[in-house]
Amino acid sequence: HVRYRMEASCLELALEGERLCKAGDCRAGVSFFEAAVQVGTEDLKTLSAIYSQLGNAYFYLHEYAKALEYHHHDLTLARTIGDQLGEAKASGNLGNTLKVLGNFEEAIVCCQRHLDISRDLGDKVGEARALYNLGNVYHSKGKSVACAGTHDPGEFPDDVKTALRKAADYYQENLTIVTELGDRAAQGRAYGNLGNTHYLLGNFRSAVTAHEQRLLIAKEFGDRAAERRAYSNLGNAYIFLGEFETAAEYYKKTLQLARQLKDRAVEAQACYSLGNTYTLLQDYEKAIDYHLKHLAIAEELNDRIGEGRACWSLGNACTALGNHDQAMHYAEKHLDISREVGDKTGELTAKLNLSDLQMVLGLSFSTNNSMMTENQIPDYNLNGTKQRLGRRHSMEKLELMKLTPEKVQDWN
Amino acid sequence: SSASQQAPELQSKVVPSKQILHSDSMEMEPETMETKSVTEYFSKLHMGSAIYSCTTKRRSK
Repeated sequence: HVRYRMEASCLELALEGERLCKAGDCRAGVSFFEAAVQVGTEDLKTLSAIYSQLGNAYFYLHEYAKALEYHHHDLTLARTIGDQLGEAKASGNLGNTLKVLGNFEEAIVCCQRHLDISRDLGDKVGEARALYNLGNVYHSKGKSVACAGTHDPGEFPDDVKTALRKAADYYQENLTIVTELGDRAAQGRAYGNLGNTHYLLGNFRSAVTAHEQRLLIAKEFGDRAAERRAYSNLGNAYIFLGEFETAAEYYKKTLQLARQLKDRAVEAQACYSLGNTYTLLQDYEKAIDYHLKHLAIAEELNDRIGEGRACWSLGNACTALGNHDQAMHYAEKHLDISREVGDKTGELTAKLNLSDLQMVLGLSFSTNNSMMTENQIPDYNLNGTKQRLGRRHSMEKLELMKLTPEKVQDWN
Repeated sequence: SSASQQAPELQSKVVPSKQILHSDSMEMEPETMETKSVTEYFSKLHMGSAIYSCTTKRRSK
């Protein structure tokens, strides 16, 4: 009787956990699942399902060490009871978690196991999902090396390109299966990530083709978040194709949707992209307009890194218009913020800008005003700076890159 | 002539508009996690135990 009560209690708790997670309250769901584990059960299949869901809940809560722990328990259990499908699923989840933690080699082994078992079982859906996960691991692996350097898309070292090509192959394989299965949602995901992989490989036309497909499917589903992602990715690709007008149109659509979805961080990002695009189009008034909008939101979100970038961009645009007083104001602000957040490269850049502006304005300045000589300036490219303080989530992914004048000429 | 040579150089430093900050916020698609469910398993189990309790009750009568 006690055993029965215990089993019932464990099940009841797990069912409540499941209900809460489905309703989107993972935090509360976790408590119930943890309680269910505490009570315990002799039914190993139930326990496996609890571990798996605990792992997923922690994954969505970005607590990856915990997610790893529970998916590992699930894998061990599935192997113990000889549940092949269960083992495949646990391997896939473990692979995804290891990927997020940056352990790409182990992630590949786990995702490959998911793929192998799915193929053995003739499980086409599982096979397709494993291929998508493998694509994601190789994409992350390539990107992790690529982003540590200071390269533009298409100009990465060979090992990065090899990983990215593998990612593209896996996404393509996934696409073949999900197209056969008629799974449009899965096609949408594969097209989106394939597009981003082509973008990093420098295949900007192929990136556009893939993102256009992603956009089509997002519209089919009325998925506005996916639609916004597609617009933003299309904008990025058109920038590198040198088609700035088209890029601006896509960024405007991103902005419109960000406003509809009431996502301030994404709205700021879109304004920033538009500011940069109009700078490339040499329409500095519009550039200033968008950079000011970006600055306002960055201030509102207390994103000091974003504010610093806005000030730098504004300084440049004001300088281009010959408005040196305003440029000076933003350069000073950029310097203050760079010092505050410990951005050494930003600080040097701001000092250089200030000294140049002072020269233009014909002001005298003393040597202790940190007049920098040219060879002390490392680069305008701030890709290598690893600033975390005060950076909002959307800015986390923000990369700074140098578009050299030669490149801009090549495009035109 | 040295002043005229310096001028465009200075211009390119003061106007680094071509050395633009490009916002490369690549937007990835979400991960797909594999799911296991207690509900599904439980509904079968519950049916079984309900039948079991019914038969035991009948037997005890």
